[in-house]
Amino acid sequence: MVTVDADTAVAPAGRTPGREAGGLTPGRVLAWACLLAIILVTLFPFYWMLRTALSNGTTLATAGGSFLPVDFTWGAFRRVLGLATLEEAQAEGGTGSAVDFWVYLRNSVVVSALITAGQVFFGALAAYAFARMRWPGRDAVFFVLLTALMVPPIFTHLPNFLLMRDLGLLNTYAALVLPFFFMTPFAVFFLRQFFLGISREIEEAARLDGAGHVRTFFRIIVPMSWGPITTLALLQYVQSWNEYFWPLLVGSERSVRTLTVALGVFRAQTPQGGLDWPGLMAATLVAALPVLLLFLAFGRKIVDSIGFSGIK
Amino acid sequence: MTTAAVPATGATAGGPGGAHATARRARTRRETWVALGFTLPTIFGFVVFYLWPSVRGLGLSFTDYRFFSDTSFVGLANYQRLLADETFWNAMAVTVWYVVLNIGFQTVLAVLLAVLLHRLTRSVVIRGLVLMPYLVANVVVALLWFWMLDAQIGIVNEMLSWFGIGPISFFGSESWAIPTIAFVNTWRHLGYTALLIFAGLVMIPRTLYEAGRVDGASEWQMFWRITLPLLRPVLALVLVVTVVGSFQVFDTVAVTTMGGPADASRVIQYHIFDLAFERLDYGYASAVSVVLLVILSVIAFVQLRLMRAGESDLG
Amino acid sequence: MKRTTTAALAAAVLALAPACAAERPPAESGGWAETGEVTYWMWDANQLPAYQRCADEFEAANPGIDIAIEQVGWDYYWGRLLTAFVANAAPDVFVNHTSKYGDHTARGLIEPLDELIARDGPDLAQFVEGTGDLWVGDDGRRYGLPKDFDAVGIFYNAAMAREAGITPEQMQNLTWNPQDGGTFERVLARLSVDRNGVRGDEPGFDPRNVATYGLGINYPPGGGSGQTEWSYLTATLGWTHTDRPLWGTRFNYDDPRFQDTIAWWRGLVEKGYMPPVEQAVGTELGQLLQAGRVALVTDGSWNIRTYARLGGVELDTAPTPIGPLGHRAAMTNSLADTIAAGSPNKGAAWKWVRYLASPECQAVVAEGGVVVPAIASVVPTAEAAIGAHGLDITPFTRQLREGTAFPFPAAQHAAEVDAIMETAMERVMTGRADVSSLTAANEAVNALFTQG
Repeated sequence: MVTVDADTAVAPAGRTPGREAGGLTPGRVLAWACLLAIILVTLFPFYWMLRTALSNGTTLATAGGSFLPVDFTWGAFRRVLGLATLEEAQAEGGTGSAVDFWVYLRNSVVVSALITAGQVFFGALAAYAFARMRWPGRDAVFFVLLTALMVPPIFTHLPNFLLMRDLGLLNTYAALVLPFFFMTPFAVFFLRQFFLGISREIEEAARLDGAGHVRTFFRIIVPMSWGPITTLALLQYVQSWNEYFWPLLVGSERSVRTLTVALGVFRAQTPQGGLDWPGLMAATLVAALPVLLLFLAFGRKIVDSIGFSGIK
Repeated sequence: MTTAAVPATGATAGGPGGAHATARRARTRRETWVALGFTLPTIFGFVVFYLWPSVRGLGLSFTDYRFFSDTSFVGLANYQRLLADETFWNAMAVTVWYVVLNIGFQTVLAVLLAVLLHRLTRSVVIRGLVLMPYLVANVVVALLWFWMLDAQIGIVNEMLSWFGIGPISFFGSESWAIPTIAFVNTWRHLGYTALLIFAGLVMIPRTLYEAGRVDGASEWQMFWRITLPLLRPVLALVLVVTVVGSFQVFDTVAVTTMGGPADASRVIQYHIFDLAFERLDYGYASAVSVVLLVILSVIAFVQLRLMRAGESDLG
Repeated sequence: MKRTTTAALAAAVLALAPACAAERPPAESGGWAETGEVTYWMWDANQLPAYQRCADEFEAANPGIDIAIEQVGWDYYWGRLLTAFVANAAPDVFVNHTSKYGDHTARGLIEPLDELIARDGPDLAQFVEGTGDLWVGDDGRRYGLPKDFDAVGIFYNAAMAREAGITPEQMQNLTWNPQDGGTFERVLARLSVDRNGVRGDEPGFDPRNVATYGLGINYPPGGGSGQTEWSYLTATLGWTHTDRPLWGTRFNYDDPRFQDTIAWWRGLVEKGYMPPVEQAVGTELGQLLQAGRVALVTDGSWNIRTYARLGGVELDTAPTPIGPLGHRAAMTNSLADTIAAGSPNKGAAWKWVRYLASPECQAVVAEGGVVVPAIASVVPTAEAAIGAHGLDITPFTRQLREGTAFPFPAAQHAAEVDAIMETAMERVMTGRADVSSLTAANEAVNALFTQG
């Protein structure tokens, strides 16, 4: 009989916790093969993005089967960061439209941060109320809130757009943030499921100590659910970072344009004209970088704390 | 000092003592106020940005609003047109087929991946790697795969030709279009879904697995008897969210096939978009949206009921 | 639940009222100020430097007016324009397209220019013949001054043609007919090469295993107009899209001349001279030429700069083939700047539009070497400037000189016509339907006009 380790984030060298010690069964080989296959399919497109981003747009299609960049050049990255002149850009197949990269980056960061903060905070509050408090109409209201998940975004885009126009908020951060700030059904749903899984004994203990709901929530539940909450925050940050059609509608002006919308500048400029593939791929890599860094910074913490949430 | 052994008429909900009952009611009322405080921002956001626009959209669905021309009330005409509209029914069929493929493929793979991550390795690096596709915007993922899967100069067909497999028109063939779009979306969301399930896996106490091993159960048996049942709340969440999200697929289609070839990938949300913003037939588009909303609500409701998502076996 | 339902119903009723009064007609908010900032939208980034110079010179001559140019790519142009109109924030002046402005005139979004032209000019005779007429709407009023024009022609791989033994003279004088395809089909056959190196006109050519196709195909295959895909063939048979050159209300897709052409076109796929439509989804013709997968494409002159820039392939241009009636044909289109009816400073906007259509500004555009301006006197400058970048544009422009060009078939309900025809054409080109199915599609299209 093997003693099983508690959940640790890093495997001690040579041992994989949770499995019997002792090696290479056909089952494990198969499992590793599956995992590696999935990782390969997941990562190959990123390599392809890099390879295309380092290619020259005007000769890209001549060597479609080559795994190496075609006519290696840093031109695409220069275009994306706004460092290329018009002639340089057009010589390599770029459009020559201006790219105020740092402005767009700032906008994306600010908008995503605001949205995430609001969604996670208000979502956690609401999720706790639905999971642990008893009040009339609780389940009915929860179900109604869930229906917000079913609303096709296209359906609400235009009326929300008209609302922003009537409030005079078009092309401001407020318009980009507000519809998502107060609530997203996913956050409420997600956290409610986690809160449901927390054992009641802990709360009852707190209640016996005289803590009210507010104290219980902030002092006990939140620290306990740090894993899911941080996970949610990261996921929602990424989601709002990649939000496309709403910012396109209300935030097309340069001063509030986000990176994802700005990617449009690499698409076709004329009817049946071509895309600036290297530019688009370089822009994508650059746009994904901040979120990737965020994940690298917080990823370990998330993984560590997920292991301990809700465990008695 | 009435011990209120006899409850006052209809006043208490069957509780033993009048004093206790009043105290409980007071507690309930306090709890209700606290709950209101906790949920107010969410409800506000819901009403202003989901409910009100939906109602407005509902109102527009009874008109022939076409942007800037004279609008008049047409009653149920849009809905009647919808019932007879072949393109609409085709779009629904296409969307259902897409959802089945996407959810089937994605959920099975996500559970597999989550279990692999959980049981095979603790590496944070690998966990991060599988999440990377999610960091890329949907439209760019679509364009990237559009480029890689191109029938004439894409790298995937190039690699297939090494094995003698003829060029496959992934996006251009009517039978391949939807499966391809399902694949692209799965590629992007696999890590995300797996991470959600993984979070649920981790909450299952290890003691249960220990006990199972003591009883001589195999990995497979433990998966079916312990893991899956205890994953129920998380799986319910994941399934509801991914099914609903799948029904609303749009970005990938808008950027690649644009509904083609010959409407083989004209999913319902793309159809709505085309009606509203290309053909400027906004009243009719609103009607289609309302129908979609109703269908999704029914599906989600049924799903939640079936999976009893409100309960948790962990206590 | 019951209370929620009643509340929802009540709200729905309340919502109906404001929904109906969603937008004010734009003309009400328009004004005729002669100074201020004029916002100008255009989509072609290649022309941006030229137009910026025009703006600088205009501002110098008109100190009270500021021109703010915004370039919005084609893929987003019409969506953003619509949003801007709804937001009452439309640009004062914007580049418009023949296939789209019908929607604008139907909704009163753009300003008619007849009175302004009568009062201030310009002289409409200075424009290349035919370009101005495209901008007279179906209500008989003129909405734009043509700024450039384009035509359709052939781009082909000159190196491949040489290897195949095809001379430039042959390429400049192709013939075509729907029965055997004329010299056009023979050239396409010669240029097609299968994986074993066998050419299309040699025995043993395997149509299923082709390495290089003669003719490239676009996706979707033409829609309603077939501007670059097949209209240059159908028009040589005397066929027209509609009963009138512009703003027709009866389409002719049931005509045997049209259907025979499409049948010939589809036949190319079976013979292995053209890739199947399915494989065309997503790829750009320029990339196919570069990769050596196709040898010849028909495309518009507005993309000539892009083709000139393609690396790794040597291209040449040629005019479209001569048909059985003895003449060529090419669809021509012209773009124009239109003024938003809701703009508060239409006076200044009109000054800008007039300047854009003047020989001074058009000369600057011509020197840019991207498009051919519509002012006849400036055309040779443009042709020379474009030629200096590597590709000769005269095979395209000669069609206007020789009177063989025909206008883009502007019509109402353009988006719906395109939607119906795109699906129908795809079905035919993939072999799932016979060309005769286009008659049914034609009825659906014509029904749009009879139902109003």
